[in-house]
Amino acid sequence: MTIDSGLPVNYSTMRIRKIYIVATLLALPSLLVMCTKPSAFSETEYDPRLSGGAATVFDETSKAFGNMVTGLSVYDQHIHSLGDNSVDQTFVTAPAPNNSGLGPIFNNVSCRSCHHNDGKGSPTTGTVTSSMLMRLSIPGTDAHGGPLAVPGYGLQLQDLAIFGKIAEAKVNISYVEEIFTYADQNIATLRKPTYTLTNTYLSLPSNVMISPRMAPPFFGLGLISLIPESTILSFADENDANGDGISGRPNYVYDATNKKMMLGRFGMKANTATILTQAAAAYQQDMGITNRIFPQESSFGQTQLDPLTDDPELADTLLDAVDYYLLTLAVPARRNTTDPQVIQGEKLFAQVGCTNCHKPTIQTGVDVRYPILSNQRIHPYTDLLLHDMGDGLADGRPDFNATGSEWKTPALWGVGLFEKTNGTPFYLHDGRARTLEEAILWHGGEATKAKQQFVALPQTDRDNLIRFLKSL
Amino acid sequence: MKKLIFIFAAMGCIALASCSKDSDTSTSQADFATLKDSVLIDFVAKTAIPGYEDLLAKATTFDNVVTALNAAPNAANLASAQTAWRNMRSTWEQCEGYLIGPVEDDNYDPNMDTWPVDYVQMDSLLASSNTLEVANIEALSTLSLRGYHPIEYILWGTDGQRTAESLTARQIKYINSLTADLKNTCTKLRDSWISSGGNYGAKVLAAGKGTQPFTTKQSAFIAIAAGLADICGEVGDSKMKDPYDAKNPSIVESPFSGNSLADFKNNITGAYNVYMGKFLGNEGKALHHLVAAKNLSLDNKIQQQFAAAIGSFDAITLPYEKAIISERVQSLQVMTNLATLKTTLEEDLNKFIVDNIND
Repeated sequence: MTIDSGLPVNYSTMRIRKIYIVATLLALPSLLVMCTKPSAFSETEYDPRLSGGAATVFDETSKAFGNMVTGLSVYDQHIHSLGDNSVDQTFVTAPAPNNSGLGPIFNNVSCRSCHHNDGKGSPTTGTVTSSMLMRLSIPGTDAHGGPLAVPGYGLQLQDLAIFGKIAEAKVNISYVEEIFTYADQNIATLRKPTYTLTNTYLSLPSNVMISPRMAPPFFGLGLISLIPESTILSFADENDANGDGISGRPNYVYDATNKKMMLGRFGMKANTATILTQAAAAYQQDMGITNRIFPQESSFGQTQLDPLTDDPELADTLLDAVDYYLLTLAVPARRNTTDPQVIQGEKLFAQVGCTNCHKPTIQTGVDVRYPILSNQRIHPYTDLLLHDMGDGLADGRPDFNATGSEWKTPALWGVGLFEKTNGTPFYLHDGRARTLEEAILWHGGEATKAKQQFVALPQTDRDNLIRFLKSL
Repeated sequence: MKKLIFIFAAMGCIALASCSKDSDTSTSQADFATLKDSVLIDFVAKTAIPGYEDLLAKATTFDNVVTALNAAPNAANLASAQTAWRNMRSTWEQCEGYLIGPVEDDNYDPNMDTWPVDYVQMDSLLASSNTLEVANIEALSTLSLRGYHPIEYILWGTDGQRTAESLTARQIKYINSLTADLKNTCTKLRDSWISSGGNYGAKVLAAGKGTQPFTTKQSAFIAIAAGLADICGEVGDSKMKDPYDAKNPSIVESPFSGNSLADFKNNITGAYNVYMGKFLGNEGKALHHLVAAKNLSLDNKIQQQFAAAIGSFDAITLPYEKAIISERVQSLQVMTNLATLKTTLEEDLNKFIVDNIND
């Protein structure tokens, strides 16, 4: 019994036809592709967890901020580790065989004493575990348009001293609690800080201006430094041409490493242009460790300046290794990105206007020395610009272009991990906010409208927005 | 005949067991879930808290012995103080096998274990009119004047040849306040975990109930496993590697007492005992049981690599500050073994947790 003997179509013809059909079908997509212009992936084709693009790490432990980016050569890994080890080193009084040169006046003894777990630390001052310092200046500007140093004090208060020396002053922090009530009668308690200086070693001028600053997290700085200047400037709207109530302007600051005015990217007021200058200034100002960028003791001009001729106290190799360490720390990946409440929170975050300043997505530029940081699609949630944040947050101390009420939009990546890295989390420039909700409620000035919209949301939506922030 | 019946009966059981696959799986899943909870319960009750209890006991003994040395600075009391220092150090280094929670969040670690010693400040402190009471010690601006290492420096001297006669009254007063300060720190550290204090233990036990810091059980296990890997890294990539690379004996930690290698080995032994659930002789369920329940070969691999790393310390016969010059091969072997172990803990153990603990 045969089945196909009577079929009219020749088998081989059928096979050829089949091949044609298959070939046509195969060719079709490529033809279609050829017709479509090459375009970027759609939003959904990117993995939303990759906050730092290729420079992202999957770590949600207390050590999440301290991971090296992948793809470094063995030698580069060695330099990174050398920097990692250096930020851990406790400095001691000179002369010493190792880690010599602490003080004589200082804020803390090692980088990690303030930058707890490469993160933020505690908003206290003058103790061995404090992570906050006080910037000082008097009205006027220096030769580069920067803040004017206080005679006998400089631009930063050193509130600790080695044994037998006198600290510049003691910083006293007191909080007054203020109740914020939502329309739905839910409440939040905000702590409004007051800072006073006592036990000053020399009388302070009456017009002194002070600005408290918490130690910021270490990671992601390499990516930030690779964002093209043109991208940052494209976000600026100094005269609020679009009328959205948000200006946003760049800070231009004098960079001691490059000895020229540059766009500020780091610091609470975008008051520092490069990672190297930031690290070198921290060594010299925070710990009293002189280095090639800042070879003069912070106590220069004071009677308790040490007579040693050991400056610079920090080896160039170590300073450069720390610079490289900071440049090559990976950004922790987001968590719970598929949680519907988190997704809803993300929508609300954009809807109420947070993303006008906390820019979700930026493309880094190219630096051939750092391929892993180059051309990355990152989610820092900042525009790196200055914004007037209102009286509640104002420090009243201008810093280059930044006025006394302007602050740089801080990056929000990793903000959901502060509870892990810090034990007790603190938010904002001086750690006054104990929760993300409090931090939002402190927003004023250009952010007033966005805050009001947040406040007007039903509680479930407010919770979802915070859930989204905790996924960062 | 009876034997045969038994054999048949046994076979029957096996046959039944193999037929009821579903119920078996759910039973083993229930067992695994129970085991997971037991591991967290025992981590708190049989590792973490007893570890800090023991540390406090050792600190109390140490303080008592140094108080005796203060009263009678003789050779016997100096020797007891040195022994008490080593004993306390042994427990502390093992407790570094779980550097999670208050010990890192509240800076108890740098409070006790800051290195290096600040010789210049110590000299000016001892030469001053400071009364050196505990309150004075607490008021000092730097932690390098507190904790194990200033005490070690005074108990042994730079060359390890300290004699009781060479100790000054102020040196003994100073370290006696430092041992009291250590005891205070250890009390706070212990209290931070127990229910009458900060109750961090309850936070670990609440893992998976949506509260911080462990919103999921998985995150608690990852934190414990990361603690094991971190200490391998700290010893292999930092404490041993830095002086080895620099060939610089002066940056080896605990050099005065010659205790460096004991410190390093105790760090890894501590991590091993956390993994095995045999911390300071307290037996309980631990990661080892969890891994062995699902992946015996991984459990074997981890145990073997721990054994290799711990065993390789014994090949170093000199104090570490000499070994970095004269026993470089043996020193490097320890670091290599630690790197291998660290990779296994960071990759294989972490993956095991992610794959098997989903709540």
